[in-house]
Amino acid sequence: MSEGMGHEAAREALEALALDALDASEREAVLAHVAGCDECRRELAALERTAAQLALAASPVPMPSARRDRVRARLVARAGADRDVDGAAVAADAADAVGETLPGVVPPLRVEPSVPERVPEVVPIGSRARTRPRLAGTAWLAIAASIIAVIGFGGYLRASADRDLLRDALRTAATERASQLATNDSLRAAIGDRDRMIANLTGPDVHVMTLASTTQTPMGRMFWDQQHDAWTLVAHHVPMPKAGRTYQLWLVTPTAKISAGTFMPTQSGEVMMRATYALPSDSLAAVAVTDEPGGGSLQPTTAPLMVAAK
Amino acid sequence: MNPPPSPQPYLDPEGAPPAASSREATRRPTTEDDALVQRMAAGDERALGALYDRWVDVVHAVVARVLRTADDVDDVVEETFWQAWRQAERFDPARGSVQTWLLTIARSRSLDRIRTLRRRREEPLEGDDGYVIEQVAPSDPGLDVEASERRRIVTTALAALPPEQREALELGYYGGLSQSEIAERTGQPLGTVKTRMRLAMQKLRSQLGVLGIEGGG
Repeated sequence: MSEGMGHEAAREALEALALDALDASEREAVLAHVAGCDECRRELAALERTAAQLALAASPVPMPSARRDRVRARLVARAGADRDVDGAAVAADAADAVGETLPGVVPPLRVEPSVPERVPEVVPIGSRARTRPRLAGTAWLAIAASIIAVIGFGGYLRASADRDLLRDALRTAATERASQLATNDSLRAAIGDRDRMIANLTGPDVHVMTLASTTQTPMGRMFWDQQHDAWTLVAHHVPMPKAGRTYQLWLVTPTAKISAGTFMPTQSGEVMMRATYALPSDSLAAVAVTDEPGGGSLQPTTAPLMVAAK
Repeated sequence: MNPPPSPQPYLDPEGAPPAASSREATRRPTTEDDALVQRMAAGDERALGALYDRWVDVVHAVVARVLRTADDVDDVVEETFWQAWRQAERFDPARGSVQTWLLTIARSRSLDRIRTLRRRREEPLEGDDGYVIEQVAPSDPGLDVEASERRRIVTTALAALPPEQREALELGYYGGLSQSEIAERTGQPLGTVKTRMRLAMQKLRSQLGVLGIEGGG
């Protein structure tokens, strides 16, 4: 037992200590007693568990989705960098590493070059079919224009902030990985893949477009690395399409809607999709996602689920 | 003067005595949350994302009760899960649930932040518009059945307290006020505040213990 505070006096202060409501001097005195008193230590542990239950009484306040997603992205990026720094899971499959930074994300549909190979029934990128579109290009652009007005500049700033954070985190991860795994030949190819992904997401020529939803729920961002002709779509809250249906990504120019492949979200609604396609920077009007029959369509047959004007 | 942050009771510090609640170790089965924390400890950031998805709204509720600005709230929500990530290896399921662990971190980090803000801005204590724990629990579609039930029990137990005792509890827990500060704010003698807080905790503990919620007896 401590010489400073008697057992009874300390015991009477344990409830306040569990609530962290003692003044500093009294707190120190009680803690000094508790350190030498098994009974008080047990009592304090039980009271702390009681106090912890008070948190349950806070009325649930859902976090706004944009803030929720932003914090999540920062956390997962930090954790990925932290993991690599600590070497806690160096053996993780680096080829999927970028996908793993977004939990539950499906593997990239196309890992250079794979869209035509893996979904051959989709119009290959570059094959600009001229079948009559179901939706006039002007209608798409009007939708895009109206949505981009809603998104506003704040959306772009958020995307830029996310990108900056992602860039910092991934740069740290890449640096650490390079030093730790330099001698591991089996991982070199994977590192190269991630480096390319980093460049595709954060390079100086990357244009970022936020895809707003026409049904409020899904949201996504398209990272267009114009230097490498790389397209990376990251989306959240994308509902699973109905049986026999799939999602299809379109690059919209003033004269064509070019298929960039089909994709499915995970059960948790996450999407990460990569494609490669050379498109002059001044010819892109918008990117869009539509719900299409399984295997994809030659031209979009439904109104876009998500769309972003350039 | 504000007291420093309290220690985290759900971690397993080296040399600590066996968990006082060893009965929980046998009572609580391994949960999905426990599995996620184990994966986090192994360096799997996907597990952190999954844990975040499960509990962010509950954590946000606690943080938003203490802090007022969105930037502060977001920072503390992030720091809560970040601390969970960093301390996942030390999490001991026998000492409590993951939910309780997370909420304890959230509350502690929130109080750290509000105390820092007060020092920096020399803010007066918060006004009377906060810290009223609601007495009727709404439905919580985002929570699983067990979590919703626990919440209902806690809010019911709080509602059963005399108002002046509940006020002392709330000002201490959500307001981060010391007993002296509560006495100053409410105009009550310090001894009265101490008695109210102690009685409130004893009743709450008894209620939760009877109802089988951890923390009782």
